Amino acid sequence: MKSKKLLVILSILLIAMLSYLGYNTFFAPQSIEGSKDVTLQIVIDTQDIEETISYNTEHEFLYDLMREKEEELGASFEDSSLGFMLTGLMNYTVNSDKNEYFHILVNDEDAMNGIQEIPLNDQDYYRFELRKW
Amino acid sequence: MKIRDIVLIGLFSAIITAGKLALNFIPNVEIVTLLFIVYTLSLGIRRSILISIVFVTTDIFIYGFSTWILVYYIIWPVLIITTNFFSKKFKSEYIYAAIAGILGLTFGIYFAIVESFFYGWAYGLTYWARGIPWDIIHGGSNYIITLTLFKPLTNILKSQMKRFK
Repeated sequence: MKSKKLLVILSILLIAMLSYLGYNTFFAPQSIEGSKDVTLQIVIDTQDIEETISYNTEHEFLYDLMREKEEELGASFEDSSLGFMLTGLMNYTVNSDKNEYFHILVNDEDAMNGIQEIPLNDQDYYRFELRKW
Repeated sequence: MKIRDIVLIGLFSAIITAGKLALNFIPNVEIVTLLFIVYTLSLGIRRSILISIVFVTTDIFIYGFSTWILVYYIIWPVLIITTNFFSKKFKSEYIYAAIAGILGLTFGIYFAIVESFFYGWAYGLTYWARGIPWDIIHGGSNYIITLTLFKPLTNILKSQMKRFK
């Protein structure tokens, strides 16, 4: 009876691992290697901040580029169980008591992933707006 | 409602909240589903539904009000009603593990539906699709946790409830 249960548990683990790998292989955002020109725009209305910065980068994801330019962007991040969250830009840190967050738009469309999963594409435009939820 | 019922509901909802917080550091691994299944079989459907309402309301005090709270107010009573329905026909832990596993696998869909009402179906679909890896973890862990702990927990709680009566 116990060995049957163990077999079932191992089978479930195997199926879950294969499904997870399958998802990451076929559906997860794919990055592009090589050099790319990208533009970052930061808008913090409450602080009268509007900055546009262009970069040439070899990085494949937005988070990696922002980490490299952390000082220049005045960026800060918070590690959570779901990955890194952007909490500050231009040395302004979001006030969670006021329900503030940085809304990310990619080519003027709402980003559907977190910064670690947003791939960098040549000529793409990333806009960060301080908003309230 | 008797005073002892009020005490039981408060106590068992606190256990669920503590269990949830204790496993918070592992994304999408939880014992809330298992505990609601065990409660339904040991304490009955009426008490369990009241426990779920207290539990979700406590969540509002901890995390604040958000759209996912609406789903929580529906999803846990539905799990309790489903468990109660199956309890009349099945005793095997494999059935309850399957219920818990299916709930975990489909968890993202319920939230996606509610999100769609607020932000449109495209957002809801993306929300669900992006959460599939987490749903896989949720479903798999729910199945294993329930299969492993269902019998010992139910036996303990049922015997304690006999003493309580």
